[in-house]
Amino acid sequence: MSEEVVQCQGVTRVYADDAVPVHALRGVDFAVHKGDWVSLAGPSGSGKSTLLHIIGGLDRPNDGSVSVDGEDLGPLSEAQLSDLRLRKIGFVFQAYNLIPVLTAVENVEFIMQLQGVGASERRDRALEILDRLGLDDIGDRRPGELSGGQQQRVAVARAVVTDPVLLLADEPSANLDTATTKELLELLRNINENHGVTIVTATHDPMVMGYAKRPVNLRDGAIESDAGATAPSPDA
Amino acid sequence: MKLRLLVQLGWRNLWRHKRRNGILLGGITFAVASVVLANSFIRGMQVQMADNAVDLMNGHVKILAPGYLDDPGIAQSFEVAQDWQPDALDGITPDMVAGWASRVRVPAVIMSERETRGIQLVGIDPASENISFVGKLAVEGEGLADAADRRVIVGAGLAEQIETLVGRRIVLITQGADGRNREAGYRVAGIYRTDSSSLEKIFVFTGRDTVQNLLETNVVTELSVRVTEERFGPPLLQRLANVFSGLDVMTWQELDPTAAAMTAIIDVAILVYFFIMMGALSFGLVNSLVTAVMERTREMGMMRAIGMRPRSVLLQVVLESTLIMGAGIAGGVLLGVLVYLPIADGVDLAAFDEALSTFGLSNVLVPQLIAQDVILVVVLSLILGFVASASPAVRCMKMGPLEAMRR
Ligand SMILES: Nc1ncnc2c1ncn2[C@@H]1O[C@H](COP(=O)(O)OP(=O)(O)OP(=O)(O)O)[C@@H](O)[C@H]1O
Ligand SMILES: [Mg+2]
Repeated sequence: MSEEVVQCQGVTRVYADDAVPVHALRGVDFAVHKGDWVSLAGPSGSGKSTLLHIIGGLDRPNDGSVSVDGEDLGPLSEAQLSDLRLRKIGFVFQAYNLIPVLTAVENVEFIMQLQGVGASERRDRALEILDRLGLDDIGDRRPGELSGGQQQRVAVARAVVTDPVLLLADEPSANLDTATTKELLELLRNINENHGVTIVTATHDPMVMGYAKRPVNLRDGAIESDAGATAPSPDA
Repeated sequence: MKLRLLVQLGWRNLWRHKRRNGILLGGITFAVASVVLANSFIRGMQVQMADNAVDLMNGHVKILAPGYLDDPGIAQSFEVAQDWQPDALDGITPDMVAGWASRVRVPAVIMSERETRGIQLVGIDPASENISFVGKLAVEGEGLADAADRRVIVGAGLAEQIETLVGRRIVLITQGADGRNREAGYRVAGIYRTDSSSLEKIFVFTGRDTVQNLLETNVVTELSVRVTEERFGPPLLQRLANVFSGLDVMTWQELDPTAAAMTAIIDVAILVYFFIMMGALSFGLVNSLVTAVMERTREMGMMRAIGMRPRSVLLQVVLESTLIMGAGIAGGVLLGVLVYLPIADGVDLAAFDEALSTFGLSNVLVPQLIAQDVILVVVLSLILGFVASASPAVRCMKMGPLEAMRR
């Protein structure tokens, strides 16, 4: 039996702020196995981001349950969710991932600072990950001095430096050209295959879907097709 | 450890917007400096008002016979030993007492060859009048030599009215304790000038013994004691009240309620002034602080999304504003003091002469820089800066990391 890093049951999310409530997710049952790379696909508004946020403890479902690494998110307070994100989840957002006043190395170190990792260990690990991801030559630059692709790769470095159980990326390639996207995806594949990091991406980009192991299609807040729902997970 | 991270972030962020933060810093510095300076001037006025009231022959504490205030005359009087000393009192040391003076002050009529006027005749010992304005008078002619001097000093305003000059003779008529009038002729030794023309028309001075001789008595109508510092007033008042039981022992505030009320209002005015000044000047500053926080909503959302505790994010933002407020306040206080130092001895306000003298102020205003006022400005400014940055940050914290990132 494979370990389940993410377990969603009947996840429902309704946005009721407008006159007409929007059903972003309608009872999604979904699991992510260890070592998986799931790619959430589907038309705009189908609920990809919403699901990703709920898995990442950034949003709460109106109904249903979510657990990450065996921990039920439902009863957690905001502060506990915050700690869970810090300890277990790496995030790569579409943009504005990095703190503008910190250099690339410092941005990678930042998350370890939050975790309370000591100064010298922090620096070593940050330099090591940048080196491993081929970013060692840009460590001293601030985000403003980096290209979009470089910024995204530094964001990946920051997201994985803490050895999270799960890496979540929402439209990581949205602002990148084809060549840069390819670089980023190779990086993610490397992390996924060689370092065993479980990845969930949400994207429109066919290139990203091509790299993922398991495409999941959403439509109108429900899973339309899931390559991994019946098939055994890769490392089972 | 965590705090170091927050301070480091705050510090870097300050340099991110050099120009804007520079303007902000300059604004805070200017606002704080101007409030510090303005406060020192307002305090200066307050001290001067109090000083004037004390100077007006009140002293800090004055002893009067009961009823004298309602019916000032020689009948309401008391005796003081020639060698009486306030600093011999229990708990009162010589360094607490600036001086004391006993006087005979009675209503009288002054007559020249041409005119007659009602005045206040004050018999003084010139040697002890360094505690009141009498000792500082600018006199044309000669001043009084001692308590036995048989000449008089009249104000310039009165001298003009009764058309007298230095060296001329005048006649004084006043009523004795027995109800009979006494009169005698005196020579004008000098004519004094003050900032206040009404004062010049009221007081006529001569030797204390001279008035006592005229009235065939050895009593005085008042005894004023001046202390070196305002805080010595209350203990002195208490001791005097014990020694002079049966007499009225009063503070200058009781004797001059208008001046006392004015000085009390100034305590409040300083606060009001702070809020007006900082309110007006800081409208832009508060705005900048708020904007600075608002425009980083997305960044704060991201920091929270990756697992930074809301409280830490909040602290970081507040710390940042506090750094800049702190620097501005320190600069402002420094600037204020630097401007204050060269004018600490007083500023000549001759241009505003008339307006000021109606408030009982003289031409030279000596600003008073008081630690307590500076601390007040510092603390209030810090609170202002704290609120201006914390409130938008708290609003941002309330919206949740996702919503913040969407901004
Ligand atoms: N904060 C919100 N308030 C109201 N409605 C929202 C909010 N966030 C998302 N929605 C709605 O929920 C639905 C799902 O949105 P979601 O962002 O998950 O879609 P998506 O699949 O990520 O789309 P895209 O491909 O455009 O990113 C949409 O109809 C969207 O309008
Ligand atoms: Mg989306």
